[in-house]
Amino acid sequence: MRPVSISQIYLSLFAGLSLYLLPWAGFGLMLRPDFVLLVLLYWLIRAPHFCNIGTAWLMGMLVDLAGGDLFGQHALAYVVAAYVAVIYQRRATLFNRWQQAGYVFLLLLVAQLVLLVLKLFGGSEVPGWNYLLPSASGILLWQLVIYSKIKVTGEREA
Amino acid sequence: MEAQQTSFFVRGPSPLARLTFFAALSLVLMAVDARLHYLAEVRQGFATLLHPLEILAGSPLRLYRHIEQHFASLDALTQETHLLREQNMRLSIDLQRLPTLQAENEHLRRLLDARRPLAQPSRLAEIMHVSRDPFVQRIIVGTGSQQGVAAGQAVVDGMGVIGQVTRAYPFSSEVTLITDRELAVPVQVERNGLRAIAFGHGRDNTLDLPYLPVNVDIREGDKLVTSGIDGTYPNGLAVATVARIERNIDSPFAHIVCTPIAGTDKHGQVLILATSPATAIPQEEMHLTAKKKETRHHAARQH
Repeated sequence: MRPVSISQIYLSLFAGLSLYLLPWAGFGLMLRPDFVLLVLLYWLIRAPHFCNIGTAWLMGMLVDLAGGDLFGQHALAYVVAAYVAVIYQRRATLFNRWQQAGYVFLLLLVAQLVLLVLKLFGGSEVPGWNYLLPSASGILLWQLVIYSKIKVTGEREA
Repeated sequence: MEAQQTSFFVRGPSPLARLTFFAALSLVLMAVDARLHYLAEVRQGFATLLHPLEILAGSPLRLYRHIEQHFASLDALTQETHLLREQNMRLSIDLQRLPTLQAENEHLRRLLDARRPLAQPSRLAEIMHVSRDPFVQRIIVGTGSQQGVAAGQAVVDGMGVIGQVTRAYPFSSEVTLITDRELAVPVQVERNGLRAIAFGHGRDNTLDLPYLPVNVDIREGDKLVTSGIDGTYPNGLAVATVARIERNIDSPFAHIVCTPIAGTDKHGQVLILATSPATAIPQEEMHLTAKKKETRHHAARQH
């Protein structure tokens, strides 16, 4: 188990935020995974004593600010996903790679569905199936975590 | 492993308590932001703080564009010069007739005793990125309130109306496109002067013309221009062309779909027209005058 420092967590979260801030457009925008949420989930599972629901809320607020959206909608979505992540955190470290992928996919879906519900309340149209593409691309990106040295358990090799 | 185990016991409030607290906080913030508009200043402040990060994030694309421009082939440049020269020629022919037409127009206006149209100063702004939210049709441009941009100003490009500034931050501003659901543009059919209001459709990059009767005189291919009634858009700017008309027997209204003429995907720059945005009558004042009228009515009746 490698020790985790708080600065490491916040640096990676801000790296995620700057990836989100890249000028995405067109098809890239449709495919863009939710970088901030992915980084959040990683730390929520790996270091829940440093990265908690409050951190998720803070990052959600920053995303809302950066996107010019209604205050608090990403915050709420991230908080709900973080809650689900935290209550199953102990089990998540024991999952094998398929279970872990499914679990993270579910969390990404939860966040997207919360956002969708909020948008529908706001009077948006029902989007097509491609609305869920970011979750799919997000889980593809998560394979990096599964197959590389940065395991959620913090072990160097497995 | 030890740090992990001690932290097992020191966890603070339970996850459910945290969830409830932060979810409630988000909901309250959403309600305040949507209904009360108290948070505009807070948003502006934080947006200014985030601006350096945005510039940082935008730098790879700028670098790429820079390199691309630098290595643009001679062939492409010659072609572009050729195109621009041709366009310039055509426009300068039009321009030669402009002073005559302007003089004639002024003369006629004087004869009719009509008000003279105002000159429209404008400023060039660069598109920084399109909105990150796939639900809304917005773009962010790199000119803000420090340069005199204010919410409510119209945004156009060389071909027609693009949209309207909806939020002005100090160094950038947010432009809502005419295809956004929340934007309506007062238009006029160029062919016969019929007035209507075009609403953004929100998803397919189209505009709708609702509330027009089935027998309305609109044909496919008609050009819609701004009517200038609202005071936001100067009149005569191209907005859209009518793409499809569905006349359904069941409905008293025709279903008219239009495609916008201007395009944000075609240019890197837009023009912001520096009109002074129309100020709405404050709600309280309206209430007051309404009350006054009411009391006056009552008084008149009693007398």
